Amino acid sequence: MWWRRTLSRSCRCCLGCGRSGAKGIWSLHTRPVCSAPALPAGRITALQALDVWKRHFEEKGVTEPEHSSQYIIAHLLGAKTIESVDQQSLTQFLSKEKTEQVWQLCTRRLSRMPVQYVIEEWDFRDLTLKLRPPVFIPRPETEELVELVLTDLQRHPGAAETRRQTCLEVGCGSGAVSLSLLKSLPQLEAFALDRSQDAVDLSRENALRLGLQDRLKVYHMDVIKDAERMLGLFSSISALVSNPPYLFSEDMATLEPEILRFEDHAALDGGEDGLNVIRQILALAPDFLSDRGRVYLEVDPRHPPLVRRWTEENVEGLRYAETRHDASGRPRFCILQKEESHKDPDQD
Amino acid sequence: MAYRRLVSLLSRRREWAPHFQTPQRVHGKTVCKHPTHHPARNQKLLHTGRPVMTMMKLLSVDELFAKRSLQEHLKKVEKEYNECLQAVTYSATDDECSEDELKEKRTKVSLLAPLIQSIRELDKKQQEITETEMLLKDDDAALRELAELERESCLRDIQDLRQKVLELLIPEEEADMSDLVLEVTAGVGGQEAMLFTAEMFDMYEGFARYHGWSFDVLEHMSSDLGGLRHASASISGSQSYKKMKFEAGVHRVQRVPKTEKQGRTHTSTMTVAVLPQPTEISFTINPKDLRIETTRASGAGGQHVNTTDSAVRIVHLPTGLVAECQQERSQLKNREKAMKSLRAKLYSMKLEEETSKRYNQRKVQIGTKGRSEKIRTYNYAQDRITDHRISMTVHDVRSFLLGEDLLNEMNSSLQEFSNQEALMELLEEGNQAEP
Repeated sequence: MWWRRTLSRSCRCCLGCGRSGAKGIWSLHTRPVCSAPALPAGRITALQALDVWKRHFEEKGVTEPEHSSQYIIAHLLGAKTIESVDQQSLTQFLSKEKTEQVWQLCTRRLSRMPVQYVIEEWDFRDLTLKLRPPVFIPRPETEELVELVLTDLQRHPGAAETRRQTCLEVGCGSGAVSLSLLKSLPQLEAFALDRSQDAVDLSRENALRLGLQDRLKVYHMDVIKDAERMLGLFSSISALVSNPPYLFSEDMATLEPEILRFEDHAALDGGEDGLNVIRQILALAPDFLSDRGRVYLEVDPRHPPLVRRWTEENVEGLRYAETRHDASGRPRFCILQKEESHKDPDQD
Repeated sequence: MAYRRLVSLLSRRREWAPHFQTPQRVHGKTVCKHPTHHPARNQKLLHTGRPVMTMMKLLSVDELFAKRSLQEHLKKVEKEYNECLQAVTYSATDDECSEDELKEKRTKVSLLAPLIQSIRELDKKQQEITETEMLLKDDDAALRELAELERESCLRDIQDLRQKVLELLIPEEEADMSDLVLEVTAGVGGQEAMLFTAEMFDMYEGFARYHGWSFDVLEHMSSDLGGLRHASASISGSQSYKKMKFEAGVHRVQRVPKTEKQGRTHTSTMTVAVLPQPTEISFTINPKDLRIETTRASGAGGQHVNTTDSAVRIVHLPTGLVAECQQERSQLKNREKAMKSLRAKLYSMKLEEETSKRYNQRKVQIGTKGRSEKIRTYNYAQDRITDHRISMTVHDVRSFLLGEDLLNEMNSSLQEFSNQEALMELLEEGNQAEP
């Protein structure tokens, strides 16, 4: 087979788009070594390219070898999934240019760059988002977070006053959550913030691409460091949403290279118990929210009882409403509601 | 006895809109129908793949109205209507009917009202024409001329009204108003069967486009050579289920496959299943009965994992039915599509249970039963497509596979035959049940 002729052609290791914002932890075992197959001498079809790269990914221990080659090649053929590529396009010979593109992108995947960064986009609910390292890639569970918020906001369109509904997202990343809400609720106004300038830029870019920039304001802010500023800016919010960093610091080391090498660790690490950012959000929530406004958090499966207890002990005016589970049955979402504090007059 | 059965038929709110016309001659293309000797009313065949011995002829509106059974049926319907109307009108003084019975009668009255109105209009027109015909013998030429015009106009109205009456008589299927999920599966014949399945799937996409329906692919499992193992699509639009249901069954192709080196003809098959898609309200599934499987299930999920495999598999625990989808990059979208698929499967299972007795007798198979029934053959050598249920043949396979005029015409014919069968059944049941 012609592609086995040339071996270990060392190529420049590709790590993201040259950004080194990610504080990568380089374990000895996963030092990136790219030895991509050489470009084919003759012409090949998309189907053949799929096969070549699937095998190569397998050989190099790249996770999801088949899906990786399928998504990358489908993308280059102008489709989202390989299933939607018509038979003709799959069996035709690829142009030299196209072949080079396939090789270039697939080689990036060799370094364990997530597919979403390789093709620089992914779908979230009914949106297609532009994605770039090190901005956090939305997870499927977060699609369900949006669902929860939507259900509530759709059920209670407005308070007694005909004031517009507003939402505030802490840690917006690529803008997935806010933009999804805006897309589904034409009357909603959204505020989003992130401590990473990359994330702020990307959110704004996605808003523009989706035509939602008029209803989204993105702020470069840190919910811990800029709390004062925030209190002045946001009030009477209908819904406070967040997918905050919630991993336990000790779990960071067990992450796959896709995450460790390329995604912003600050978007993942929630401290020793994973609750650093969550606690801050809850503490500030009553000041942001309108009466009966709610907080929606995506969390680690171990968190809900901890969140409930901490809130009861530390946050007046915020009542733990319910825990919801994700599609895999794990406790994943905490919903809390702003309420008038009930102080027992005898207790003081 | 007949009364009650009739009542139960009519109370199921079924109405089809058939074209009760004489068989169409398709422009420029030969349409062959086997000649008949007598209508097959007494020869209800159980639906099998065997060729039909005596073909059911498509009767014209006039022929149908000439039938005594139809006239008697119409009289019966009128009688029933009058009785119900009376009971409902004088309910205040009549203690014989319970509240439930009254409610049932009220529903019946409103159901039958359009039909009764059409029958009465028809009767009126019949009277008119009789009077007009008397004038045809008049001495005055001008008057005769006017009478002639009047008569012609009356005849046209009578035709229209008769058609309307027939339309209102035919019971409608519960599922006729719904959208559908189309499933295609390659059958016997290896790669060739899979290639044929792909062509059929494209044909139905064309058919959907032709009718302005939406065609949303839910699942698509292709083979290496560009064939299709299995695919499903959600089709929605006006009358989509009503038309597509006649496509369900085994389709057979006879041709020299592309892969064949010695030029021999092969016969391959593929199966089409048409599952009505219920609305949210009419058919709900308890979320507790579902097990949703994704690749996120193992490990901690959430921020811990970044994967691109967003395939979703849903198992309905009580029945064991499974639906899966990996068409989309968004896991939520895959879940929605899998749910759509599952709902359609569950719903059709439920319908099948309810209607199995009824449709066993019909030649023109409707819906998902009879998956092993060969309904149509596509013969390339003779460039013909034959539907075995009504022994109808059209030519030009290539055009047929576009899913446009040719397929639509065959589909319409199937509808007409099916409507007639339903009507016959209705009349027969009325007759059989004579005390």
